[in-house]
Amino acid sequence: MASAYNPIYTDVPEKDVFALHFLQTLSNLRTQNSFSSPDNKTSDRVKKIKKAAYVSMARAAGATNRLWSRSLLHQAAKRNNKNVRFLRRKRRVTWLMRRRSNRGDPIEDVAAERLRNLVPGGGGMETSKLMEETAHYIKCLSMQVKVMQCLVDGLSPK
Amino acid sequence: MDLTGAFGARSAAVGACREPPGLESLHLGGGDGGFTALLELPPTQAVELLHFTDPSPSSSQAAVAGIGLDVSPPPPPLHAYGALTFPSNAALMERAARFSVMANEQQNGNVSGETTTTSSVPSNSDRVKTEPGETDSSQRLENNRCGIGKRKELDKKVKGSTKKKSKSSEENEKLPYVHVRARRGQATDSHSLAERARREKINARMKLLQELVPGCDKIQGTALVLDEIINHVQSLQRQVEMLSMRLAAVNPRIDFNLDTLLASENCSLIDGSFNGTAMQLAWPHQVTETEQSFHHRQLQLQQPPQPQQWPYDGLNQPAWGREDDQGHGNEHNSLMAVSENLMVGSASLHPNQVKMEL
Repeated sequence: MASAYNPIYTDVPEKDVFALHFLQTLSNLRTQNSFSSPDNKTSDRVKKIKKAAYVSMARAAGATNRLWSRSLLHQAAKRNNKNVRFLRRKRRVTWLMRRRSNRGDPIEDVAAERLRNLVPGGGGMETSKLMEETAHYIKCLSMQVKVMQCLVDGLSPK
Repeated sequence: MDLTGAFGARSAAVGACREPPGLESLHLGGGDGGFTALLELPPTQAVELLHFTDPSPSSSQAAVAGIGLDVSPPPPPLHAYGALTFPSNAALMERAARFSVMANEQQNGNVSGETTTTSSVPSNSDRVKTEPGETDSSQRLENNRCGIGKRKELDKKVKGSTKKKSKSSEENEKLPYVHVRARRGQATDSHSLAERARREKINARMKLLQELVPGCDKIQGTALVLDEIINHVQSLQRQVEMLSMRLAAVNPRIDFNLDTLLASENCSLIDGSFNGTAMQLAWPHQVTETEQSFHHRQLQLQQPPQPQQWPYDGLNQPAWGREDDQGHGNEHNSLMAVSENLMVGSASLHPNQVKMEL
């Protein structure tokens, strides 16, 4: 990728960082007894792996530097501890929400709403910030997909 | 840049004034007439907004300082922050006088009579003119107060110019505040200014997203682009789900020797010298032939020098060799190693059959 100067900072670490984090998370996952004993493909395993993928991606991408990663990790931690439904919308910044509702362009608001539902932690963000987060999120997601693809290809029996 | 030509013409018209500035030195405490006169400079001149941090004691000095920015033969560097130091030579003084004369001739009357209200703002050198050294940095040397209301009045003056204004309502990503310049023919109340700034922020980020998502450049219209972006995000998330399902299907057993491997991997990846440390790892010598053959292969690969890309031709890993980055290649070697650790017992995995499309 060309290293063009972009004032909006959306750099993403290299693939090996993602791979490392993912493998670490997977190994942590595997040390759990509940994971290995049921040998059948249960949906739990899938879910756990999926969650591991997201968590590792969030960590690899700079855990607390980005809003979406923070929110992701927060969600994951909460789900581990208790069944508290995470509040997607932050209660803070009411002035922000008010401003959003006032100034929103109707065209982009609909799409922005959908985007907010997709990107973790998108509830409390303004549209411009949301798009920054989306860009970073897309980059990290594609990295993660590449890593997982490699892993799956490497592991799949021929 | 058409502005330079216009400036040249203007300078000719104004009388040997090289860079006719549209100065609005805001902190002229003293000279009332001179200040407004300066503000009502001929509309043909460039529109500039200069904010000085320190209100100079004398109006003339301020005027000189304001004018001296663009006038002196080597124009002083436009350091927006902090006190501007200007050579106060005779030429500047006479230019100041000349400007006041010119300003008196042409009264536009669109001055809102604002005085040094924004003097607390660090100087802003929003040079529109032909300064050769003008880079983005000089334009980025902007600061704004929270209230764009201050600028709106200035922009009203700006609007009086008949010339096309330079569209300098760029967004500054680096600094916390954004200067917004009202464009010609546009409303200048604070709401619309803020709205415009916000819209441009969003447009800038939209462009960024368009570059990210493949196939978005062709699409016109923000709604479709946003839809495309949303589809892309959704497809990526679905891909993650698919791959996690496949991973869950593929992994029957677990090997617990990953810890040492990953620990060393961690250090090596961070150091960048992944090659040596990963290979010199105390690998768990599993009994699978895959592991051993893989291990042998990696021992062979230690011979080539470190920074070089591993010669993948002799090995059946052609796909890996396509990685430009050495780190990636090594990472995938380790990835394979780790994954083979994971696949203890599944002897069906042969390294020479493994091809990773990256």
